[in-house]
Amino acid sequence: MDPLMTASRKGFVLRWGFLILVAAYFVVPMLAMARFAFQNVPTALLTRDNVFADWSISGLLTALSNPKIVSSASISFWIAVFAIALNFALLVPLAIVTEVRSPRLRPALTALTLVPWVVPPIALVVGVATTFRAAAPWFLGNTLCLVPFYALWAMPFTYRVLDAGLQAINARTLYEAARGLGASLWTVIFRVLLPNMRAAMVAAAMLTVALVLGEYAFASLLLKSTLPTEMVVYEGRDPRGALALALFVMVITALCLGVVVRLIRRRGVSITVTGF
Amino acid sequence: MRVLSRPESRLGILVSLPFAAFIGLFLIYPVTVVVIKALTPDGHLSADALSRALSGTYRRGFINSIELSLASAVLGGLIGVVLALVVATMSRPRWLHPALESWSAVASQLGGVPLAFAFIATIGTQGLVTRALAEMGLDLRDYGVTVTGFWGIVLVYLYFQIPLMFLVMTPAVQGLRQSWREAAAILGASPLRYWLSVGGPILAPSVLGGIILLFINSFTAYATVFVLNPGGALVPLQIRFLLQGNIITGEEDLGNAIVVWVIALLLLSLIIMTALQRRALKWIHS
Repeated sequence: MDPLMTASRKGFVLRWGFLILVAAYFVVPMLAMARFAFQNVPTALLTRDNVFADWSISGLLTALSNPKIVSSASISFWIAVFAIALNFALLVPLAIVTEVRSPRLRPALTALTLVPWVVPPIALVVGVATTFRAAAPWFLGNTLCLVPFYALWAMPFTYRVLDAGLQAINARTLYEAARGLGASLWTVIFRVLLPNMRAAMVAAAMLTVALVLGEYAFASLLLKSTLPTEMVVYEGRDPRGALALALFVMVITALCLGVVVRLIRRRGVSITVTGF
Repeated sequence: MRVLSRPESRLGILVSLPFAAFIGLFLIYPVTVVVIKALTPDGHLSADALSRALSGTYRRGFINSIELSLASAVLGGLIGVVLALVVATMSRPRWLHPALESWSAVASQLGGVPLAFAFIATIGTQGLVTRALAEMGLDLRDYGVTVTGFWGIVLVYLYFQIPLMFLVMTPAVQGLRQSWREAAAILGASPLRYWLSVGGPILAPSVLGGIILLFINSFTAYATVFVLNPGGALVPLQIRFLLQGNIITGEEDLGNAIVVWVIALLLLSLIIMTALQRRALKWIHS
């Protein structure tokens, strides 16, 4: 046989072997979790022989009808909504003005919006507990006190996505053209720039939802009841239901991030949220 | 143009003030208080708290956290790079590359509580893989792998580290021009020589930068280890311990001091990472 052929065949086998191994590492935990969560069989009795036995979503339904889970899920939902709104209120005007009027400040702003990243939840929670607990106990008493902090950690990627969105539509040219044609500032913003930034804004919102659905350290150390913290409490009572719920949350997170990937693919935006 | 922009001249201040106030109140203010308290444990300037934060069990915590983060960053980094390189050479199943990229974007964010649950179901004492291997006469514990132990946690962290590295490395790997490899081959370089003299040095800053990113990522991860092993001697878990028991005077300053070290470590990592990425970009954009 041609030696070149065998070499490339060996490479082919090695490559696919490696890919299959990696794939197995990523798929097996999900399958194991699915079996724990959705098979009505005591976990100690789950074997190869009963892979198809007694699948049901009753665990998930029980978890989803638990009043604590329901109320914490609705709190997490509102936290996400308010954090998104807060970030848009702060960052959309800032990104637009920077891009249109002083693009030289863009790198500085990009660096500045990275700062929250150096102070992860587990570190900031100490500062928040020591300052706000004394200065404004009413503030930490409310679960919605999480909103500004989640907005803070969503800031690095929100700004990046918005900025990339503005770059992609050539915001400065659009602005100057519209202004030159006699449009007022508000007309430019609401009828030219914002409609064109819809994809970027949806992407940023979905990333924030993923962050809120995943953040545990900050909420749990401030003793707040959000979906992730309530999930851990629930695990003590009903492990099967908690696993089903966790898998459900993972699927929602994956769907949110799937939307993000579709919207900002090939724009060169890194969409990493780390530290959670 | 100047006439046109006049009514908007104060716009810059108008939009940056709320932003600055927000960052100031919710980030700068708490962090500054923590730093001041860590530097003045008894009301006057002293490095006492800062040095106590790096001694005894807290020293152990930092060493454990750094070891855990290094292990998961280096392993995840290497596997991620190999994955990116392997996928870059394969053009055949067309769906492979976009599918892997989307999936990595998703998986790199799947940390926290659900991931811990998934691995308890896999390599926990009742885990399916644990028991499947036990049937074959293999005990994971003999190899030092339990879901609450060092290598078990590394294995869990790889779940988000590998995809994150893949995402970070893909642009860099795509920046390696086919023509460079061909030029090297024409000049008589073996594939090994190509990687040592051309491909390796070009990828090195990206790889190092990526590994530092993964290091930061796992150093600050809390939820997963908290569910798997809440009593472990890791920095995030020790912060929790100090925060919840801060009735004892003096302990509070210790917590502040640990946070100061954590922020310093992350800041340093971020600066090195940014410098490396800037170097790496030279090749990606040229």
